[in-house]
Amino acid sequence: MVPKISVKNLDMSYDNYVVMRDLSFDVQQGEIFLIIGQSGCGKSTLLKYLLGLKRVSRQKIFYDGKDINSVINGSHFYGKKIGVLYQGGALWSSMTLAENVALPLETYTPLDKKEIEEIVALKLSLVGLKGFENFYPSQISGGMQKRAGLARAIALDPEILFFDEPSAGLDSVSAKRLDDLILELKESLGITVVIVTHDLASIFAIGTRAVYLDVESKTITATGSPHELLATSNDKNVIAFLSRGTKNS
Amino acid sequence: MSGIAELKLESENVATIFISGIWNVYEKHPSAEQFIEQISSKSSLQKIDLKFFDLKVWDSVLINFLIHILNFCESKNLTVNTNDIPIGIRRLIELSKTSPVRNMSSTRQKKSTTLEFIGQIGLLIFLSLKNSFGFMGKLCWEIVSFARGKAKIRSQEFAVVLQDVGVKALPIVSLISFLVGLIIAFVSVLQLSQFGANIYVADLVGISMMREMGCIMTGIIMAGRTGAAFAATIGTMMVNDEIDALQTAGFSSINFLVLPRVIALVWMMPLLCVFSSFIGILGGLCVAIFSTNLTIVQYCTRTASAICLNDFFVGIIKSCFFGFLVAAIGCQKGLQCKRSAEDVGLTTTTSVVTSITAIIIADAIFAVIFSMFGV
Repeated sequence: MVPKISVKNLDMSYDNYVVMRDLSFDVQQGEIFLIIGQSGCGKSTLLKYLLGLKRVSRQKIFYDGKDINSVINGSHFYGKKIGVLYQGGALWSSMTLAENVALPLETYTPLDKKEIEEIVALKLSLVGLKGFENFYPSQISGGMQKRAGLARAIALDPEILFFDEPSAGLDSVSAKRLDDLILELKESLGITVVIVTHDLASIFAIGTRAVYLDVESKTITATGSPHELLATSNDKNVIAFLSRGTKNS
Repeated sequence: MSGIAELKLESENVATIFISGIWNVYEKHPSAEQFIEQISSKSSLQKIDLKFFDLKVWDSVLINFLIHILNFCESKNLTVNTNDIPIGIRRLIELSKTSPVRNMSSTRQKKSTTLEFIGQIGLLIFLSLKNSFGFMGKLCWEIVSFARGKAKIRSQEFAVVLQDVGVKALPIVSLISFLVGLIIAFVSVLQLSQFGANIYVADLVGISMMREMGCIMTGIIMAGRTGAAFAATIGTMMVNDEIDALQTAGFSSINFLVLPRVIALVWMMPLLCVFSSFIGILGGLCVAIFSTNLTIVQYCTRTASAICLNDFFVGIIKSCFFGFLVAAIGCQKGLQCKRSAEDVGLTTTTSVVTSITAIIIADAIFAVIFSMFGV
């Protein structure tokens, strides 16, 4: 079966400094795939490469077996194929929550205004923000902005959802709720989820498989399910990273 | 009571360092460097005991002092008896040593030679020009697409920008233009009254406002007001990942953010320029009627006869171009913003400086072109 996303021997750099080298992994359809590692190891940079926000040479990243460079120029890669939830929600501040969610629908679908409004209400209710349609991002809390960002990310029911540190800045209850929501979306919509995180509670609660980016050796040092990694990995950094989670959870 | 550290020789090869008193950032304490010099002067030393007594208060100052001493002793292969170090201090020293060192090269640039410096400046200018032309090219392409009906802009967003750059700018444009007209008239009256040619104040104010000052002053005001706002808004969006969110939602940032702003400013600038010119002429009129014997009718008639259609269109053409420059530079600088609050401020400043410089250069080029064509 062709992996949903495939990364082959990817080298990442930031401002001319090599951050990670020789990264290779596959993300399968329908799994919750985690990119984990210590702060500053390059997780968010890797996400940018996966999203096509950073240029990558050919034959390094593949979506459904096709090179990312040919896929991102297709009309529906962004929006229909992928949805992204950024760390702070990244809502467009000049628009209300409803307008934020409606914009992809207005742009990419032939739906009429009434139907778009209904879908917007549905998406906002899925993330627990029913009734906040006419609020601007600056009028709601950080956690709510994040949920609204998720509503926008799933506006077009994308095939793959990317999350950049979804629980960052959230209290444990909100973080748990977001985790549940991610699981629910994955189960009900059958979507593939890629999450960049270092939140251990989330890692063990929702992760199907994970890659550990090691800041010292600058490459992937472990791949597998979080529980499997903790039980079988010989890498001291992986153990140190994951073992705190078992003590806490 | 300040921090005290004393070095006492127990024998030829063994010394004890006694540490006592208050060791915190507010009290005096011996410097580690001076103390290391003392240790260095005892060349036969092989072992040092650290003894603590009557240590009342300590903080990172003492930790730092001890780390220096321990590092020095380690480098000189001196044995140090650390058993007496209080447990809290010992833990912090160990923690500082066990903190992992990242294998990252420093981002701080090494000092470069003059030749390298010149090369870097040249490269910077080349890249800056390349980026600017690249951006202008993309923008022009989007404008053409828009004109051909292939690109769309959000009407709500456009209306808000239009209001911001147009109606809301009227008060400041009025004030500055009125004062500029006033100043030109004052200077003119002082000179022309010596020849009894006060009537020509109307010519000077009218022509200068219509051809030059109206569009330049409006351009400069818009650079400081609107261009800076564009740069700050887009820069902040960059910091908040909103631009990335646009791209991953499949929207072109040029189409979505730049195009409405450029079109709005190019549309509003001629109107503001005409308005500015008339307000400036009004300022001149005030000076003329209060400081000379000219009447309102004389001044207006003279102004109408002095200004020709060419002057009017020269102002209009230039203001359209200045509007384009201000909006494009503001947006481009915003999109080049990095991801910190400091960069937003820097971007805004750069946007204003670049816009004003570009306006002056463009005006000079226009002056040459118009004089070549006798306009």
